Amino acid sequence: MNNRRNFIRTAGATMLGATAVSRVGAASLPEAVIQTSPDMQPPLIPTTGRPYNPVVTLNGWTLPWRMKNGVKEFHLVAEPVVREIAPGMKVNLWGYNGQSPGPTIEVVEGDRIRIFVTNKLPEETTVHWHGVLLPSGMDGVSGLTQPAIRPGKTFVYEFVLQRSGTFMYHPHADEMTQMAMGMMGMFIVHPKDPRQMKVDRDFVFLLNAYDVDPGSATPKVNTMLDFNLWTWNSRAFPGIDPLVARTGDRVRIRMGNLTMTSHPIHLHGPHFEVTGTDGGWIPKTARWPEVTTDVAVGRMRAIEFDALAGDWAFHCHKAHHTMNAMGHDVPTMIGVDQKDVADKVRKLIPDYMVMGERGMADMGEMEMPLPDNTLPMMTGQGPFGAIGMGGMFSVVKVRDDVKPGDYKDPGWYKHPAKTLAYEYTGGLPNPARAAGPTADKTTLIVRKPMGGHEGH
Amino acid sequence: MMKTRIMATRAEMRAPHSMRPLKRLAAAGAALFLAGCATVSPDGGFGTVQQLTKERTGQTATWQRPDAQADSAKARVDELLQQPLTADSAVELAFLNNKGLQASFSELGIAESDLVRAGRLRNPSFTFGRLSGNGAVEIDRSILFDVLGLLTMPLAKQVEQARFEQAQLQAAFEAVGVAADTRRAYFSAVAAQELVKYFGQVKEAAQASSELARRMAHTGNFSKLTQMREQAFYADATAQLARAQHQAVAERERLTRLLGLGSDQLNFKLPERLPELPKSAVEPKDAEQTAMDKRLDVLMAKRSADAVAKSLGLTKATRVVNVLNFGYANRSQTGEARSNGYLIELELPLFDFGVARLLRAEATYMQAVNRTAQVAINAQSEVRESYSAYRTAFDLAQHYRDEVVPLRKRISEENLLRYNGMLISVFELLADSREQVSSITGYVEALRDFWVTDTNLQTALTGRSPDASATERPSAKAALAAGGAH
Ligand SMILES: [Cu+2]
Repeated sequence: MNNRRNFIRTAGATMLGATAVSRVGAASLPEAVIQTSPDMQPPLIPTTGRPYNPVVTLNGWTLPWRMKNGVKEFHLVAEPVVREIAPGMKVNLWGYNGQSPGPTIEVVEGDRIRIFVTNKLPEETTVHWHGVLLPSGMDGVSGLTQPAIRPGKTFVYEFVLQRSGTFMYHPHADEMTQMAMGMMGMFIVHPKDPRQMKVDRDFVFLLNAYDVDPGSATPKVNTMLDFNLWTWNSRAFPGIDPLVARTGDRVRIRMGNLTMTSHPIHLHGPHFEVTGTDGGWIPKTARWPEVTTDVAVGRMRAIEFDALAGDWAFHCHKAHHTMNAMGHDVPTMIGVDQKDVADKVRKLIPDYMVMGERGMADMGEMEMPLPDNTLPMMTGQGPFGAIGMGGMFSVVKVRDDVKPGDYKDPGWYKHPAKTLAYEYTGGLPNPARAAGPTADKTTLIVRKPMGGHEGH
Repeated sequence: MMKTRIMATRAEMRAPHSMRPLKRLAAAGAALFLAGCATVSPDGGFGTVQQLTKERTGQTATWQRPDAQADSAKARVDELLQQPLTADSAVELAFLNNKGLQASFSELGIAESDLVRAGRLRNPSFTFGRLSGNGAVEIDRSILFDVLGLLTMPLAKQVEQARFEQAQLQAAFEAVGVAADTRRAYFSAVAAQELVKYFGQVKEAAQASSELARRMAHTGNFSKLTQMREQAFYADATAQLARAQHQAVAERERLTRLLGLGSDQLNFKLPERLPELPKSAVEPKDAEQTAMDKRLDVLMAKRSADAVAKSLGLTKATRVVNVLNFGYANRSQTGEARSNGYLIELELPLFDFGVARLLRAEATYMQAVNRTAQVAINAQSEVRESYSAYRTAFDLAQHYRDEVVPLRKRISEENLLRYNGMLISVFELLADSREQVSSITGYVEALRDFWVTDTNLQTALTGRSPDASATERPSAKAALAAGGAH
């Protein structure tokens, strides 16, 4: 299962791109493997070239290569794809080799690589190797360092990897459109010595965001900041795989941000250290212990921690980014008694239901019909009820008995005795409180949870 | 007195040759409408009016004369008022009950009595004169016979016959007018009443928004500005409903007047909604020719021209002028598909003024001919315009029913889904429901317009100008009066 041959065999069923591409010249081109499953594929353990410890791409895969005269050859095909954002929603995107984001490219420090890029998009494109040190003419900026790759054409990028670290690739031709449509991928350069920066599990994903009008399927590419789908590798919770580890594993998570805003990524449970930045590895003495690291726009971050048993939420801390499509102009209904008005509304709109009077958590529980191809704004059920999250949210699931190389979802965590929050059932004496401030006429009347209206 | 009559007779005697053909014409004219008319007919000539009216409105007009008929009419009126009115029962009611129509039917009685009188000799009169002066007394006794009356009787009979026939046409014309007005008023009243319901729903939606907005402002979730915007919708909707309510009252009162209903009959019922749109629109065949053959105003104008001719004593009808002879049917050309044109005819006798050559006679006659031609041209134009209005109204009503309303409904369903996903607020949902309702009001208005234009088309085809209301006295009556004066 965990070797390349098997991988290609399993992927074979979806190798639709290969025949189409062969027209370009099968003799000189490595095959363009494609992958259309949205599930996380097992790590690609190298059988040729320098050895390394492979990464696992969250809800993604790694691009196979071939060795030719000591050069690693890859074939990327830029093309329109359909990506399932989460069960119940599919989106028209642009990506590489059947998927958006494109496959992770894994290489080793010192490798000479040759990447064939075939453009099957309706417009010209290029590939920029974000953060990689290379000759200027391989940097992939259309007009500046190369002519654009016209539709139907194939370009070759060839360079030697000089430094290990976490990088990305994305177009640098009409990039606003192309990145809004999902053209991006991770580019991992492993250290020449596999013992260097070795971890037990190495997860990678890209932060990306789309604006898909509810009921439609193609992102609005002209949206500047007001996105409504916040995703990791173009997947929204509950469509995101868990990050599975064994207790005590050294776990690395590498993230690249190709959205238009920064994301404070927060991990519950174990503290982590930021071990890698855009430029490479951070010396031990300079690392920051954190529980939240802000991944700014266009940046890469690698964090590492020692896994602790449990189910640990892992998410962006911008609360709107853990929601799926939601109305941005919806007024707050909290504290507004709607009952009798609702009866009147129901006479006109029979299926109307009152929402938001108590907040928005109702949304996580109510199952109501939505526009086609639209995810509920918060969803996902846990062992104790609705999780009330969507978007950039996942769970780091650490168990004592997970086998090495096993990334399968182990189910919900079984809490050891006396380690689970419980309900207090004793009496509730009124606590002694100091007198609160009194409202004046400029203070709006705020409904308080209990009592406290004497001052009005 | 005697002298003038004799002179008049002499004047008539100057053209004795004109008598016989005139008689022939009169006989032919009488055969067209009435057989024998020297005495008062049992139905007062109303049978013809009934027939003309029924052909054009589908309803039977009755002439309420002061006898037992009035009671049965009252019973029928009461019966009709029991059920919600239909367009047909409204017309029937109007025929029974419209006082103005009954008044115009009375014209028929007057015309008939004139006709009968024209056919009888005046009773001989006896005069006794006594003159005294200068010591002498002269006693003059004489029996006077209406010699002139005897001589002019055939002509007078013809004139009165023509007037009588005109009166019949006129009565039918009035009845058709009342029927058209009634149908229009009926459809407008039903629609207006239906619209009140929908404007009520709009107001309700606006009220819900306004009430919610008030609470939102109270709890601090809305600014005063936002709240007042929602309140403004409500204020507008309230005004709109008030207007709609008055409109419903006004339309109902218009119908009440046409139905001739008194204040004790005001609780008549209207159906909740307009009749459905028919499956397809009618394509009237030979519409313009139908108007030439059936339109009462055309027939009246034509008859009036005939009457002028007769009363002028212009007997030398040598040929027939077709004042509207244009177009041709079924033209076929080699290599081309047969094209169907149409032929419209309105024939009027053209007299040879040869000998008489009286400028006044010719002018008077040509005036009548031209007036008739104008009536005919108007009638044809009105048929074309009415058909366009009818067809447009049909297509629009169908468009509202099959496109606009279902589309709005689907938009509302989609909006509800968006509300479910908290993608839009309840305020947007309510605003959308107001728009959905207004698409229904659009349909009701289009459907009303269809039924009104349907009435107008039928009226234009067989009755009269659809533009003129029956309560306005049409110019045809003036033409009749002008024709009869000779
Ligand atoms: Cu975020």
